[in-house]
Amino acid sequence: MTIREGLQHGKENGLAVEHLVKRFGPLVAVDDVSFSVAPGEFFSLLGPSGSGKTTTLRIIGGLTVPDEGEVYLGGERITYWPPEKRDVNIVFQNYALFPHLTVFENVAFGPRRRGWPERKIREEVTRFLKMVHLEGYEGKYPRQLSGGEKQRVALIRALIMHPKVLLLDEPLGALDLKIRQELQLELIRIQEEVGITFIYVTHDQGEALTMADRIAVMNRGKILQIGDPKTIYEQPVNRFVAHFIGNTNFFEGQVVKVEGGMALVDVPGLAQIWGVPVGEVRAGLPASVSVRPEKMYISRHPPKGGSFNVLQGIVEDMIYTGVSTEFIVRLPTGQQVRVFAQNISKDAEIWKITWDEKVWVYWRPDRSLVFVE
Amino acid sequence: MSTLGLPIPYSRWRRTVQQYAGLVLNVFPPFIYLLLFFYAPMALLFVMSFWKSGYMELEPAFTLENYRAFLSNPTYRRIMWNTFVTVTGVMALLVVVGYPIAYFLARMVRRYDALLIYLLIIPVEINYLIRIYAWKIVLGRSGIINAALMYLGLIDEPLRFLLYSRTAVMIVLIHEWLPYVVIPVYVALKGVPQEIVEAARDLGAGRWDVFRYIYLPLSLPGLFASFILVYIPMLGEFAIPSIVGGPSGYMLGNVIESQFLAAGNWGLGSAIGFLLLFITLVLVAIVIKVTGLEELM
Repeated sequence: MTIREGLQHGKENGLAVEHLVKRFGPLVAVDDVSFSVAPGEFFSLLGPSGSGKTTTLRIIGGLTVPDEGEVYLGGERITYWPPEKRDVNIVFQNYALFPHLTVFENVAFGPRRRGWPERKIREEVTRFLKMVHLEGYEGKYPRQLSGGEKQRVALIRALIMHPKVLLLDEPLGALDLKIRQELQLELIRIQEEVGITFIYVTHDQGEALTMADRIAVMNRGKILQIGDPKTIYEQPVNRFVAHFIGNTNFFEGQVVKVEGGMALVDVPGLAQIWGVPVGEVRAGLPASVSVRPEKMYISRHPPKGGSFNVLQGIVEDMIYTGVSTEFIVRLPTGQQVRVFAQNISKDAEIWKITWDEKVWVYWRPDRSLVFVE
Repeated sequence: MSTLGLPIPYSRWRRTVQQYAGLVLNVFPPFIYLLLFFYAPMALLFVMSFWKSGYMELEPAFTLENYRAFLSNPTYRRIMWNTFVTVTGVMALLVVVGYPIAYFLARMVRRYDALLIYLLIIPVEINYLIRIYAWKIVLGRSGIINAALMYLGLIDEPLRFLLYSRTAVMIVLIHEWLPYVVIPVYVALKGVPQEIVEAARDLGAGRWDVFRYIYLPLSLPGLFASFILVYIPMLGEFAIPSIVGGPSGYMLGNVIESQFLAAGNWGLGSAIGFLLLFITLVLVAIVIKVTGLEELM
């Protein structure tokens, strides 16, 4: 499916935004953003703070009016609809629970505005409280809840409306790691259970990779890349995406030549490195070579045979994390590279490596990417 | 106490003393001030309200005569009733006038709300009595309002009820107390997080619903604060009725004042004062109970 067909599809069935622009004074917060989300999809807007992801979410929710562009939901153009008329609900970053209402009244707020019969409201609220394991919390006030509990209430307060699309604005941002991981799994379970489209804004790339079906990476108001987590991780379209998603090592240099689908980059004082060119890579351009730590090998001996990019360095630090060990190797240029080695066997050759030892770091050329820009 | 039976180490002992000394030095002076100049005289007046009392005489005893004298006097009862009616009416008008002003300043003015609040406060900074006398010029027989209405030909002769009447008392009371209603409500409304309002809109609340279910309940503590700030002092008001009230604007505060200053009956004056205080406290308790304000505080 082409992007155009995708947008068409999203426009007719799910959600689509086209050429959204939002300016705040001289700042362009959202700069020509277009994407579409299929019904039932878990879609993540990922980017650093100030990248325009929350503004994009607010435009979809109707809390911010775009300067240009359109929002379509289920075949209807809803760009200028007020928030209360949209079949879209938001889970706010700081929960935004009503402090003067109990948990029950908070969750029942939406249904009451819709005029559901009181009996149905009671049944539904009970059902949703059960879904997030908050039975018996009906009479409590928000100030009596922990962060994780507040987040659950905020979630079901929006979910009970059965929106076509649920917008989540960094919903787990304020929670500590353990509760965050717990709620991540719970969110995935609930999303599968209710089958509602989720648009999930986060600056945590790990969270996006874990949870989302597709990710849109944003920076400075623009979408840089849209794809499934594996594509985003393995085939980033530019240096920013490669840097933002996961860990990576960069080597800065100049393109020497491009041949046979590979590019050779001269890194001054270090080596000439082969990599897969991304975009318009031509000889003479300044370039960065990116290679992820888990794609590299580390050894006390140089590689035998095969074609590898090879660097030499000194082990500066070793961080044992159980499943793997991270080596920090200092190169002759002073630059440090990170290398992950999986802990396959306790007898492996790799365990003989110690601090300050001279090692070889190498990887297959097709594991590194060459970016120019 | 240490397990070895040793005395508390000097350093810890010293720290404890320092802590308490800090507390005592911070809290005691204002506390003693309040005790000497507020609670002690109050207690004395309370005791006096049970003494045998008459013109310029006061004799220690325990009798309910002062209370009986007040409650059995139909004139006093009427004045008390009038006072509550006037003050309750003024309070209601203050809310009707003040709430929209507070809402306007807190939610609809984008930049100059602090300046507008200051404009509201400026009159308060003029001397209290001067302000009341200024109202005489506005409301009098040949005052600004009557003159203007006569000039426009809307009336043939000056409106008499404007001055020396309950209306006059009410007008001046409203002017006097308006800022004290607006400001607490303004602060409460200003403190409602934008996110909560957005959440309500997102969940299907239109503008009226947002007011009804978000702003109004969340501004109740402010409204209650202004009730305490305004209603209770208004019950004891005596300067305004004695300057612009005339006979029909006479209030309980004037009765108390005259018992102390003119009739020289301190026992009766104290009894009326404490009766007023008691009724007020009961009213406050009812307001707290009815509005469910404990939940919000």
